[in-house]
Amino acid sequence: MSQAHRHRTPADQPDTSTITVDAYGERLMSTSPPASTRYVASHVSKAFNGAPVLHDVSAVLEPGEVHSLVGENGAGKSTLFKIMSGLYRPDAGELALGGERLADLTPRGALQKGVYLVPQEPTLMAHLSAAENLYVGALPHRRMPFIVDWSRIHREAATYFERVGLDIDVETPARQLSIAQQQLLECARALVHNCRVIMFDEPTSPLTSHETEILFDLMRVLRGEGLALGFISHRLDEVFEVSDHLTVLRDGRMVASAGRDEITRDQLVTAMIGRPIGVRTRVRRTSDVTDRREVLKVEGLSSRPTFEDVSFVLTKHEVAGLAGLVGSGRTEIAETIFGLRKADHGEVWLDGEPLEHRTPRRCIDAGLVYLPEDRGRNGIFSDVDLARNVTAGIVPRLPLRWHLISTAREEAVARDSAARTSVRAASLGASISTLSGGNQQRAMFSRWLLAEPRVAIFDEPTRGVDIGAKDDIYDIISDLATSGLACLIISSDLEELALTCDRVLVIYEGRIVGEVRDEDVTTARLGELVVGGGRG
Amino acid sequence: MTAAAAAPGAELRPAVKSEARGDSRRRDRNWVLALVALLAAEVVYFSGTVPGFFGGGTGLLALTEQFLDVGAIALGLAVVILTGEIDLSAGTMSSFAGIVMAVLWRDGLEIWVAVVVALLLSAAVGALNGLIITVFKVDSLLVTLAMQFILGSVATALGGASPPYGFPKSFVSIAGTGTIGPVPNQLIVFAVLALVISLLVGRTRVGRSLTLIGFNRPAARYSGIRVNRTIVGAFVVSGLMAGIGGILVSGLYNAARDDIGNSLLLPGITIAVLGGVDIFGGKGRISGVIVATFVLGFLTEGLLVAGDSSLSATMVTGILLLVCLAFKIGLDHRRGVDDRALVSRRFRRLQSIGDPS
Repeated sequence: MSQAHRHRTPADQPDTSTITVDAYGERLMSTSPPASTRYVASHVSKAFNGAPVLHDVSAVLEPGEVHSLVGENGAGKSTLFKIMSGLYRPDAGELALGGERLADLTPRGALQKGVYLVPQEPTLMAHLSAAENLYVGALPHRRMPFIVDWSRIHREAATYFERVGLDIDVETPARQLSIAQQQLLECARALVHNCRVIMFDEPTSPLTSHETEILFDLMRVLRGEGLALGFISHRLDEVFEVSDHLTVLRDGRMVASAGRDEITRDQLVTAMIGRPIGVRTRVRRTSDVTDRREVLKVEGLSSRPTFEDVSFVLTKHEVAGLAGLVGSGRTEIAETIFGLRKADHGEVWLDGEPLEHRTPRRCIDAGLVYLPEDRGRNGIFSDVDLARNVTAGIVPRLPLRWHLISTAREEAVARDSAARTSVRAASLGASISTLSGGNQQRAMFSRWLLAEPRVAIFDEPTRGVDIGAKDDIYDIISDLATSGLACLIISSDLEELALTCDRVLVIYEGRIVGEVRDEDVTTARLGELVVGGGRG
Repeated sequence: MTAAAAAPGAELRPAVKSEARGDSRRRDRNWVLALVALLAAEVVYFSGTVPGFFGGGTGLLALTEQFLDVGAIALGLAVVILTGEIDLSAGTMSSFAGIVMAVLWRDGLEIWVAVVVALLLSAAVGALNGLIITVFKVDSLLVTLAMQFILGSVATALGGASPPYGFPKSFVSIAGTGTIGPVPNQLIVFAVLALVISLLVGRTRVGRSLTLIGFNRPAARYSGIRVNRTIVGAFVVSGLMAGIGGILVSGLYNAARDDIGNSLLLPGITIAVLGGVDIFGGKGRISGVIVATFVLGFLTEGLLVAGDSSLSATMVTGILLLVCLAFKIGLDHRRGVDDRALVSRRFRRLQSIGDPS
């Protein structure tokens, strides 16, 4: 079986024929890139655990074009790119590259066909050098097998790096590269594999505006070379700046597809959120509450190098937000407060009492709860019934009869709590994995309601929740705050923060860099701050 | 905090009467029912074909003495396996407990005091297992494998060339071969143990923590369950039950045995798994383990009474285990449960052992 790896000699060398090399490094044949690399996905559908994520979506990546997917969180953009790069298998629909049908596509198969996905968070091997990362899975060797041709790797890596505008030493370990550099390295990797289709899954969200410009310049160069590019971004400015064609997804369905000049910004937004802008009302309460006692105080909390010197206060009835990019340290801060991680320094007070030697149990008993970001992994017990999922947070307080758990009373408690958040399920005995994402999240809320908290940290409370259920969750949070709970919402969705919060703290690279209140809490203002801008 | 003003649109029926598909508790119950049917078929078959197996009912009851020691060990193992861990030291723990008891008795200690000391020591070694696993974050497979060797050699060294035998009558009667009417005392001991472990796992807060940890360890941590403490507790229970198993073995043979350790371990694990305890943790009921004790025990004894060699009995045990697992996996598959996902869960957990958080 010959596992063919392709290497393309760098463009600036005179001999630019593409060579296919077999496992023993012998030249087999010269191939030229396929004439047309139009990449067509037609009528693709995909469901996870019965929850539809994509429904009958089609997209065409044309050579020499940047095609952007636009849509809200959970609209299915990433899923489509993951299907097109072989990471997921579609339930229905077809993929065709340059007219050739791609069935049972795997990531490796996609790479061999010349399709590359630059993932949302680059997945480099942290301990390998930049050059090695470039060739992972396809190290070129000398005439003898198993002898890696290091001089060739370093020589060629340098030219690829130059081509993508990456100014680093080829032997730099990948862990020392910034996110932006890692992304450029991913692009170089695509070029090494002679890819003709490159898709970018939200590359710009962790980048500064300068880094974004560098990436866009590269994308324009690649487009000029006739590559077909796919792009995902939340930022409409960027989408209009770089795209040639736009496809809008909403709730897994394609709602619009047009050339850049054929659609206005307002039309795009309306298509994205399914209603004219501004109709979605603020659920945030105005400050009509007088009881503003301080409930949670965090002072000088540090856990280097993730975050440093984090201090803030939450008061009764308040909904505060914590905004920041992925990797800015926001989840780590919450997990440290909740006792899941150790702090180097700093203290946490609850109702004026210091919370020392924090563990989740101690925090819950003291009245502090944390709703984790990754519900599937850290939240639900997927094979367990709804009732026991709801009571999992109060195991030491389960009602007893003759020193044994009273099943009837436990179920009564679970039922009441589930009803408070309107969980919809066939029965309390249904395993929670049979519930929709929104109902699972409601069950998580009812788990923490049972603990009767005074402070709640909600990490990405609407992740993996359909649009309708989102508004319900905002209502739940708002009601909880009205009844006196101090809430801290962590979210990547700036609109969500703008909608729900009285006050938002902004984290950038592990430090609180700003705080906006009341009328200043706007998506635009938060957007500036989370990328480290707008200071001073 | 007052009630969140949520629309009371949720109609939730109590789980106990639920007819809903995907009811996780019902599935386990069905497995136990299948085992009961298997047990009945087995007893009827052997009673009809093997003379001396049924023995007017008394013979059947007397046969239980041959395997209840393994049953005790299996109950303890089930507790550990429910958390997603494993205890490979349970077999030699039995030898160890038996020898410690016998040596203390030979050296002049009252026999029941010797039993208590031996059981306390077993529990302590179980705690040591649990502490090493949780504090140093080493996989239980490795820690208990090492402990298996250590306990086995300590037992052999303590026992010397001829381990003590010939215990007092009262001990042999209660822990060994005595009966009340037709009912062997061992069966009564086992019934008590089975009831205690059943209630511990199914109806106590500790038991709830155990199973939730087995189902999803990170989620248990995020829900405030004291994961490490509970796991240490599970190993204490396993150590104690293995110790009791060792005492029962000594009573049965009226001699301390340092040589039977691992011949108890593998049937013990088999019973736990056959009883429906998911080897990756979480799923399973103690009632299944109890029934499985008799399924496996009567199968082995039936074959032995019929004159088959112990080797062929062991082989049939292995075949039974494979058939049951294949059947169970087939059922899961039809329900859409992906067993590969379970395997990957296990490996994810192994990977996360080095994780500082």
